[in-house]
Amino acid sequence: MTLPRVSFATLPRVLFVTGKGGTGKSTVATALALARSRRRPTTLADLDRRMSAAAMLGVTTVDGTAATVTKSLEVIALGARAELDAFIARIVPIRAISRRMLRSRTFGYVTAALPGLEAFLLLERLRIMAGDAALEDRYLVIDAPASGSALELLSVAAGVKNISPTGTLNRLADSVAAFLADPTRFGMIITLTPEELALREALETEANMREQLSITTVAAIMNRVPDSLFDTAELAALSPLGIHARLAVRRSASQEVASAMARRLANAGIATINLPMMFTPAMGIDELEQLGQVLAAELQDRLSKTR
Amino acid sequence: MNLKSTPRQAESLDLTALSLVVCLGPGGVGKTTISAAFAVDAAAHGRAVDVMTVDPAPRLLDALGLSADSAEPVEVSLDILRHSRRSKSHHARLRALRLDPKRTFDAIIARYAPSNAARDAILENRIYRNLSNALAGVADYMAMEELLDLASNPATDLVVLDTPPAVEALDFLDAPRRLLDLLNSRAVSLLGAPGGIFRRRLRVVDIAARAVLAAFDRITGLNLLRDVQAFVGSFDGMYEGFAARATAAQEKLRAQDTAIVIVTTAEASRIAQAREFIEALERADLRVAALIVNRVMATMPDGAEISSARIPAALKKKLKRNLADYGALKTREETSLKALGDSLPKDAVLMVVPDLGREPLTIADLAEVGRSLRSR
Repeated sequence: MTLPRVSFATLPRVLFVTGKGGTGKSTVATALALARSRRRPTTLADLDRRMSAAAMLGVTTVDGTAATVTKSLEVIALGARAELDAFIARIVPIRAISRRMLRSRTFGYVTAALPGLEAFLLLERLRIMAGDAALEDRYLVIDAPASGSALELLSVAAGVKNISPTGTLNRLADSVAAFLADPTRFGMIITLTPEELALREALETEANMREQLSITTVAAIMNRVPDSLFDTAELAALSPLGIHARLAVRRSASQEVASAMARRLANAGIATINLPMMFTPAMGIDELEQLGQVLAAELQDRLSKTR
Repeated sequence: MNLKSTPRQAESLDLTALSLVVCLGPGGVGKTTISAAFAVDAAAHGRAVDVMTVDPAPRLLDALGLSADSAEPVEVSLDILRHSRRSKSHHARLRALRLDPKRTFDAIIARYAPSNAARDAILENRIYRNLSNALAGVADYMAMEELLDLASNPATDLVVLDTPPAVEALDFLDAPRRLLDLLNSRAVSLLGAPGGIFRRRLRVVDIAARAVLAAFDRITGLNLLRDVQAFVGSFDGMYEGFAARATAAQEKLRAQDTAIVIVTTAEASRIAQAREFIEALERADLRVAALIVNRVMATMPDGAEISSARIPAALKKKLKRNLADYGALKTREETSLKALGDSLPKDAVLMVVPDLGREPLTIADLAEVGRSLRSR
């Protein structure tokens, strides 16, 4: 079975990083943005209200404004609420009224009653950002919500089409759907760890996104894979050593599970990139840089192979 | 596990005194596992237990070996736990179910609608049909409804609720109040919903806002306001039923025999989130009964045993490296646990669940996690 080749040359304009909770979405998205920014200007868009990706890079951002990390990397926080505000400001020509509306609690309730609108406008913003990025030859990496919520978020365009059979929103919904389904503009990265439930969720996510929204999965990134240290004979010799043996077995087992899972992902047509477990007392910028280097080497390597 | 730095090592929760356990926490910390473990453990101790998951990814049912699309309660076999005499009692049982918000919503509409016509008006409303699943907060509200139903069943001793991964603690617990707020807000008058208890005087800003919203509707082509208005208006005759249920839900959450527990792991980002949860709950006057730190690594030994072992030197070197590697992870964990600081609320129990060393994928694994929740 040949897997889709993953390399810098084939990466879509927007990489949407999702996965089961706790698999390291923010870490992977940040490392990916660091890797990408070595070759091209990159924007890391944080959809997480807690802005973990920005925090990891040691910058703070407010909704909608970008913070510079390096010459070729910036972080931007995107919030659904801010997108709605911007949209209202666009369509309500009198600023005094639009500002007043946005401040009113009543308006908050009304927009809450227009479900999905905020999320939809967020997707529309991503589509526009992708267009701008293409003009500037800039890339976007998105630190997205966990897989369940991510599917809900991305499905919202279809919902808007259903309730709005004509008009501006309907046309916007069409462009958003086309954007998500275009593998040169939008692709998904699924994070997982060497754990059965994370794998099941990864496989379901890939299938749901493909079947329901025609979204292409670029790759699975298997996070926290320990490097192998012991061979089978060594493990056998260790068995009387109690906790030391258990720690050695744990490391090897994790490694084996990761390989088995990469095979199952490959059977589903998904390429896997491994990221090493960082055995360090803290996850800081240095660790992220290292993970970024691993990803850059991996994507670079595959690039040269495809030539 | 060195917890000297963290306050109040406490005993476990007394599950026999509880009728409801609500597990809250950020995503990926094992809430579902902990919920299932509570339920399995209580059932093994002779209680009649219902465990409900709201997670769109039905991991609980996975872990309990059930089919993913069962919306009806499914009886879980406790055969594997039959070693305990109490679990042999006729009374003991464990049922699991996954919430289907759409179905529950339909049932609620049918229950509270003043007439069949009112019911059909809602069920056929475009907004309701297309978006009642996506409507933020509706699933949460429905979960609270379902919860009240389960909890009021006299044949059930304990209900354990696994909540969806939340960004903020109150997203879930506050859902009934938010829906009521919406129904009872000036938004309804703003939308021009007909009379009843919603009729209010409009302020100037509302009149302006209404005009703008109408324009918004026209520009966007949504023609949505009319439907939103009909939707919200159709709740008119049902407001009191909803209000009573929302009050009941709030009371249940504050009852003596309810325990709200926050689940986290010892990862720095999760601990920070858990602290925010605790603070939010305290602000809302909701008592946190326990903070559960899941998957905590065992204390690392020193290298003495390696040095004295009769194994090749090269292997010793590898073992020492392995020990140092996992020791570093353990240090990372302890640093984040220290960050818990004094944020544990008064009277709350701190429970540390040791890492199983494998994923808990069977009932027996869940029972083991359950035991570690009970014994300290």
